[in-house]
Amino acid sequence: MSDDDAAKGESIRDRLRSPASSDEANSGGDSRGSDLSGSDFQNTDSRQQLAATGHGEGQRVASGAAPATVTTKLLDERAARSAERKVAALFLLSVIGVVGFFVVYWFADFTYRVDKHWALYTPLLGVSMFLALFGIGAGTVQWAKTIMVDEETVQERHHLASEPDVRAEAASMLKTGLEETGLPRRALLRNTLLLGGGSLALLPVPLLFSLGPYAHKEDALRRTGWGKNVRLVRSNGTGVKLGDLLVGGAESVFPGVPGGRKMADSAVLLIRMRPEELQVQDSRKSWVVDGHVAYSVICTHLGCPVKLYEQQTHHLFCPCHQSTFQADKGAHPIFGPAARPLPQLAISVDPEGYFVAQADFDQPVGPSFWERKP
Amino acid sequence: MSTATRSSKRSNRSSYATLLLVLALLGGIYTAFAAPKSKAEVASGGQQSLAVKEGAALFATGCSTCHGLNLEGGAGGPSLIGVGGAAVVFQVGSGRMPLVAGQVQAPRKKVKYSPSETDQLAAFVQSNGGGPELPAGDLTDGDLALGGDLFRTNCAGCHSAGGAGGVLTFGKYAPKLKPATPAVIYAAMQSGPESMPRFSANQLTDQQKRAITNYVYDTTHAAQPGGAALGKYGPVPEGLVIWLVGIGALVVLTLWIGARA
Repeated sequence: MSDDDAAKGESIRDRLRSPASSDEANSGGDSRGSDLSGSDFQNTDSRQQLAATGHGEGQRVASGAAPATVTTKLLDERAARSAERKVAALFLLSVIGVVGFFVVYWFADFTYRVDKHWALYTPLLGVSMFLALFGIGAGTVQWAKTIMVDEETVQERHHLASEPDVRAEAASMLKTGLEETGLPRRALLRNTLLLGGGSLALLPVPLLFSLGPYAHKEDALRRTGWGKNVRLVRSNGTGVKLGDLLVGGAESVFPGVPGGRKMADSAVLLIRMRPEELQVQDSRKSWVVDGHVAYSVICTHLGCPVKLYEQQTHHLFCPCHQSTFQADKGAHPIFGPAARPLPQLAISVDPEGYFVAQADFDQPVGPSFWERKP
Repeated sequence: MSTATRSSKRSNRSSYATLLLVLALLGGIYTAFAAPKSKAEVASGGQQSLAVKEGAALFATGCSTCHGLNLEGGAGGPSLIGVGGAAVVFQVGSGRMPLVAGQVQAPRKKVKYSPSETDQLAAFVQSNGGGPELPAGDLTDGDLALGGDLFRTNCAGCHSAGGAGGVLTFGKYAPKLKPATPAVIYAAMQSGPESMPRFSANQLTDQQKRAITNYVYDTTHAAQPGGAALGKYGPVPEGLVIWLVGIGALVVLTLWIGARA
């Protein structure tokens, strides 16, 4: 650390303290008067000594009769006392915050009631807690900046490398250790160890196959829980009967198989509209029942649930990216980023009057993936 | 022999007497209990027909321009035959009707008809073709937990989990639910106004609809112990405020401390 740095450090500290005394402001850069400069330089010298010898432990070395710590603090007792009062006020503010927190916590009315709740309870807890923390924090910062001495001491590191003889000893120890394992002399042991280690490294290779095309061997992306004569059930497990829905009604349904209500890819919306409103392509005439039509609700864009059904316009709306599907015309997309219609589930009614699926979807549900045939 | 005949004759006579007595008793009970009831029925029927009559007058003045004198509809508005009293409670009770201007969706406005006038209009529309009705009595007595469950399954998709509403297609929207009265909430499920699907009694029973009504009213009127609810839109605006306002303030504060040091 040079003398310039030391001077700069002092001037910053002085600047922070400057409003306290007008004399200091008038005296310019070195605000402490000539009688103290000598002591300061002395102090700096002692620090340089510390750095050079490399024995400094970071402790402050008092130089001469008047220690530097005292001299810097006694510059302006009036300013110091004012700073002390400010710090004390901040600490007391913290105490007030703590007391306020206790009062609010124990005596304020926290009972939850609809309509008549006292809305200030939680905010007041927050404000008092803020005061408690802020007082301590700001007081400490103020204390460190105005009263505490912040001298910087540089401690040089010693050489990191060990002495040559120590290093030689360590090397010979390692060599002896290797001899003692028996590996250099016993070839069978060495070779089988290499073989074992090498084959162990091959262990994760089969796991890589799970990342490639073999992963879809089971057709997980192409099949859902639906199948022939699987009932359409509500989230509470009850089946939907013909006539349960009114015209303009819609119902979220799941496959009526064990675990079907947890199958994320199998959610379906069953919609009823007037039979004459429902325009079905010829190949799907048998997929609908008396104005009832069922679509997968997994958006063909990124797989959000498309369940916002507008019963007058027959729009099915995806809340994620605003894809809109025309439910009365095969759920083809009319707006938004989705490119394909929602897959339609062929439905019929079983002898007991419950809706059932005729088969699984004729295409994979949800977003596109690499191996999907369009 | 003769004693047997006499006794059988006597028993015949006594059984006639018993029958007569029982009949007289039954008649007495019937008149005692049924007569006042039938009187009440007549009276309520009279009130009902009076309400229909007054509703018809209100309808002719306020609604027939668009919906037609006989509810047959026209260029300005749809037919109201068979829509039921619930539709009137929803549309008139929330101020959506009478409509001010043709828009994508009827906005909620200041209510123009008093509750009794709304009931009269509802009775009139109900008397023409029937349709879904509102049950009588308090609608905020349902099971809150059940209502919350059903709300998240059936309603939250459009109205959002806190009832703040949301956008639909082409300028339509699912309105926020706080201004809705319990009757309007129940009536919306019954009648399926505008874009909203209808919920039949087989989909949601009366008890389930009451539960949803109570939940919606409670959750939209409950106090906010955690401070500002930010419109109850959920984690997106909350995160936005935390990142922009909260972290922003911390960054400014840090810069200020750095500039001072």
